[in-house]
Amino acid sequence: MQSSLQIKNLQIFRQDQLLLSLDEHVNGGEILTVMGPSGSGKSSLLNWLTGTLSSSFTATGEVWLNGQNVGNLPTHLRHIGVLYQDALLFSHLTVASNIAFAMPKGNKKQRLAKVEEALEQVGLQGMANRHPDNLSGGQQARVALLRTLLSEPKAILLDEPFSKLDTQLRVDTRQLVFDQIRNRKLPTIMVTHDHSDAEAAKGKVIHLQAINL
Amino acid sequence: MSALSKDKTASSARAAHHKTDRFTRLVKYSPRFLLALLILPVLGGLLSVLLPAFGWAPALEQTTIGLQGFKALWQTPGITQMATLSVATGLISTLLAFLMTLMILAAFFNSLWLNRIERLLSPILVIPHAAAAIAVGFLIAPSGMFSRLVSPWLTGWELAPHGIFPHDPYGISIILGLTLKELPFLLLMALGVLAQPELGKKLRQQHKVALNLGYRPMTAFFKVVLPNLYPLLRLPIFAVLAYASASVEMPLILGPNTPPTLAVAIMNWFNDVDLNLRIKASAGAVLQLALTGSLLALWLACEKTIKTLCSDLLTNGQRDYGGDFWHKVIIVLTTLVIGFILLALMGLVMWSVAGFWRFPAALPEQLVLLHFQSALMQMGSPLFNTLTIGLVTTIFAVVLTLLCLESEQLTAKPLSRFTSLIIYLPLLVPSIAFLFGLVWLQQLINNQTAFFNVAFTHLLFVLPYVFLSLSSSYRRLDPRFSNVAASLGATPCKVFLQVKLPQLFAPILIAAALGLAISFGQYLPTLLAGGGRIATITTEAVTLANGASRRTSAVYAIMQIALPLIGFILAWVLPKCFFKSARR
Amino acid sequence: MPVIKSWPTLTRYRSYWVALFVFLGICVGISSSTAVTNTVASTDEDQSYWQQMETHGKNQDVYFYAWGGDAQINAYIQWAAEQIKSQYNINLVHVKFSDTSEAVSRVLAEKSANNNSQGSVDLVWINGANFATMSEHSLLLKHWSNKLPNFALTDPDNNPAVTFDFGIPTEGMEAPWGQASLTFYYDNLAIDGSATNRPPTTLNEILSWSAQHPGRFSYPKPPDFLGMSFLKYALVTLHQNSPENIKSQLNQPATDQNTALVLTPLWDFLDKLHPTLWRKGEHFMQNGAQMRRLVDDTELSLAFTFSAPEVPAAVQRYDFPESIRSYAMDDGSLSNTHFVAIPYNASHPQSAQLVANFLLSPTAQAHKQKASVWGDKTVLIQSTLNNDQQALFKTSEPHPSALPFNSIKRTLSEPHPSWVDAIMQGWEMRYGVSQ
Repeated sequence: MQSSLQIKNLQIFRQDQLLLSLDEHVNGGEILTVMGPSGSGKSSLLNWLTGTLSSSFTATGEVWLNGQNVGNLPTHLRHIGVLYQDALLFSHLTVASNIAFAMPKGNKKQRLAKVEEALEQVGLQGMANRHPDNLSGGQQARVALLRTLLSEPKAILLDEPFSKLDTQLRVDTRQLVFDQIRNRKLPTIMVTHDHSDAEAAKGKVIHLQAINL
Repeated sequence: MSALSKDKTASSARAAHHKTDRFTRLVKYSPRFLLALLILPVLGGLLSVLLPAFGWAPALEQTTIGLQGFKALWQTPGITQMATLSVATGLISTLLAFLMTLMILAAFFNSLWLNRIERLLSPILVIPHAAAAIAVGFLIAPSGMFSRLVSPWLTGWELAPHGIFPHDPYGISIILGLTLKELPFLLLMALGVLAQPELGKKLRQQHKVALNLGYRPMTAFFKVVLPNLYPLLRLPIFAVLAYASASVEMPLILGPNTPPTLAVAIMNWFNDVDLNLRIKASAGAVLQLALTGSLLALWLACEKTIKTLCSDLLTNGQRDYGGDFWHKVIIVLTTLVIGFILLALMGLVMWSVAGFWRFPAALPEQLVLLHFQSALMQMGSPLFNTLTIGLVTTIFAVVLTLLCLESEQLTAKPLSRFTSLIIYLPLLVPSIAFLFGLVWLQQLINNQTAFFNVAFTHLLFVLPYVFLSLSSSYRRLDPRFSNVAASLGATPCKVFLQVKLPQLFAPILIAAALGLAISFGQYLPTLLAGGGRIATITTEAVTLANGASRRTSAVYAIMQIALPLIGFILAWVLPKCFFKSARR
Repeated sequence: MPVIKSWPTLTRYRSYWVALFVFLGICVGISSSTAVTNTVASTDEDQSYWQQMETHGKNQDVYFYAWGGDAQINAYIQWAAEQIKSQYNINLVHVKFSDTSEAVSRVLAEKSANNNSQGSVDLVWINGANFATMSEHSLLLKHWSNKLPNFALTDPDNNPAVTFDFGIPTEGMEAPWGQASLTFYYDNLAIDGSATNRPPTTLNEILSWSAQHPGRFSYPKPPDFLGMSFLKYALVTLHQNSPENIKSQLNQPATDQNTALVLTPLWDFLDKLHPTLWRKGEHFMQNGAQMRRLVDDTELSLAFTFSAPEVPAAVQRYDFPESIRSYAMDDGSLSNTHFVAIPYNASHPQSAQLVANFLLSPTAQAHKQKASVWGDKTVLIQSTLNNDQQALFKTSEPHPSALPFNSIKRTLSEPHPSWVDAIMQGWEMRYGVSQ
């Protein structure tokens, strides 16, 4: 079945003021880019999608994932992965454990093998037992990516994930992320204010207006 | 520049340098002074107890070093029961409090309920152990609130039933009292850690990441937040464990007496007319030290074992461990705990104004103010002592803490881990073990002013809390303000007094309120260091707790609660009077 | 940074604030330490003994170590302190203890530390075993109580109760303060006087009543004074019909030879009694005050006290229900006198003697005997008092819960104090640790 993420008639209000409204359909492997200045509601959109919208906002609308209405499910049952600006690797676990944490239950040996394989794919072979705090920014971003991907999400949200990386690293990491997304045919929504990100995404771009309070 | 003005500049520079030097010197030596203040009395007290334990007590004409003290101790009837009771009540109550804390945190981690629970339980923190014991005693006695609520319509009891609470031989009453008192403490310590801006934010974000990866909120807490939170909770847990296994107030008021816990027995031996029992008491103090020490070691060992056993669990990918069921269980348990505490407090208030209140009536027949009136008439001197000792001790503690924290910033070196551990020292060493020795030393040095001795002993217990309370706020001060002030020509002393202190007004008040609360609630230090001549509200309350009048002891317990509460209310209100806050 | 309203004003005068606080601190420190000692008196060989005492003893502090577990007694001591303050400007400080042995051990500790004149205890409320211990270790000032002006009012030549303490001569080491007898009380809603539920009037009736109504009677754990008194009452009563040679041992010191002989009937009795007691005799309340509270809680239906007036006083304070009734046992009430003594190393011995004399005055004794105050029986003999002084002792309408007048038909005198230790040790061995 074609995987898809559908936002139906979303309207987010902050204190009775309309912040944004959206009605979009994202197919698997496609990347919807959302751009806009600060305060325009980009983070609120992502929060709403994951089910963590703060109580100072209200929202109407539905989100359908692969033909299922997931709006009523709690966060941990939605299977929507998020990549943040900070890698947010768990500092009490090694690199491999961080990734294993995200994987579904299974045979221990098989999971380890899968982790090793994934690390190789992104050029981090041999780093399995390193402590996440000892990795560089780019390496951490790649491990975070693996962690999100290996949790077998049904959709991915990107919250300005490359903004803390320097230019060349940004290009490489971005390419890696997008390739993985396209390979796995995951519908993706990316929030950013970098135009080159939007261009590389090669998908629809939406500009949110700034709301003056 | 003329010679005269050159001289002036040079001398003023020297003068400024000299002034800086004095303040900086004072500040630089503060941490060492703090260390000495904490280590010397505790070690001195321990030594003064260790020597008699092995037979060296020249005051009693005993100088044969040997194990006669320990032999006498071993032969005491019921010694194993005493030790078991102490260890069991200490361990079980700490474990229960710890587990409940974890469960509450896990279940309510990102919800509003956590804030509400925090606000509900914070006032409970200031209730001294003696008052809490009195309140719990009212609740669980056969004629207590629980029985009254269900009698006689449910149970048919016209006279109080035969029950085992309080003073039951298994120590369940003690465990109840201790758990109810330690649970808010551990919970608020954990919340304090989570309130630290960087750490708290990081942990909450990682919790969110785990949620996104499909983990149930409770599982996410245990697998992601707890491993990072626990090391910061370890010292408070140890303090709780040490206190619970060696406390005197709780077992005195709620515990059995055939035999009592080891700490109570040691106190009785030290106070006995027969001075030769002092040797046995000193040996007992050493035993208590060993028991508490082994409990701490046991906890550490269990911690390491669980860590190794569960390292696989962390990454096995299981997202749910029957979360719904446990969530419901925790909600029920939390409601029970809060209900218990509220009922105990209500019982306390009702007893303090009760006229005739025969079992099984649920409410008193009359409400009278007689008990408050007669208590207040007799309370003058204890109240005065409580307040003055508290103020003197707290002011000194706050000033010393501020100087030490300032030294951290002036020397640009954080306090060593050793210092941070020593600050906890008086809380980790059982007070029954070193207080007797300390008191003996104090008698040697200065026999007449009991007030000073008591204030000094209180200082040992107030300093750690004041330090912990102030350190996080102090370290979070934006250094740029001091830099700006210094670039404008202000000396470190001026920067300290006019830039840093005003910013810390509210945290200083809170730390002071905390210090006052700790001092108000001290029992054993006041009793021993003052030789019984200094009566405070707490010593009166403990004496009356096992006295003839529940009503009078309820009044004193309420006074015990009211005093620190007033301190905290002041700490909350005063900053609002002095500061205009920016309005949006 | 928040704007501080009055900070500039405060900091401008900060040096004054600092000075003020330092000054206040010093004041607090000084006022809390021991009081200024008195100056030396003038040449006073001409002045009489008591006048000298008054001159030297005025304007000082007296630390009175007395049991503090009864609010009424504490209030009486406060009243006495006020009277003494206005008469002699003496600060009587009531140091409360839960057990008098604590005061004894303090003086003992001071003696071993060679503190022979700066003792922290000036006056101590004492009798019985504690007096015996202090006397034995030479811890008490001697030959002073018989020189108190008010001592004559106790008719010492004809009244051995004020010159012997549990059979041991006081030798002027302690001044009598009050008298007490062991009396019983019960809750008449719980013991309603029906055929199977009458208040017991002899020791054996206590046993049978307790067997029929288990869990409603107990006694405080030795070495509590009240608990020991019950055991002594039981011991003396159990030996009422013993042969004379055994009975007389009670007035002799306890030795290894006679202990088993004398105490066995007591242990037999207790072995029968304990299973019927509150908490099945496996836990005993810590002191008499707790026992009183358990009666109010309705956990106990029968209890006893050495201070009969505390019962109606407690009812008036709502600490007892109105259904409490007092009575004395038919087979005898254990009676004794309690005293105040002065340690040999007291810091203010003259002031302490002034206090002791006041406590022995008709005013103080009459006030003490009032049921609404303390109700403790006076040690003064009415025949030595003049009419005005006698009038102070007139009583009013008795309280329904009070002990009816002349209830005590028989008094039992206390055994030798050494028996207290013997009973204590035997009890501790047999029942001290619950199995």
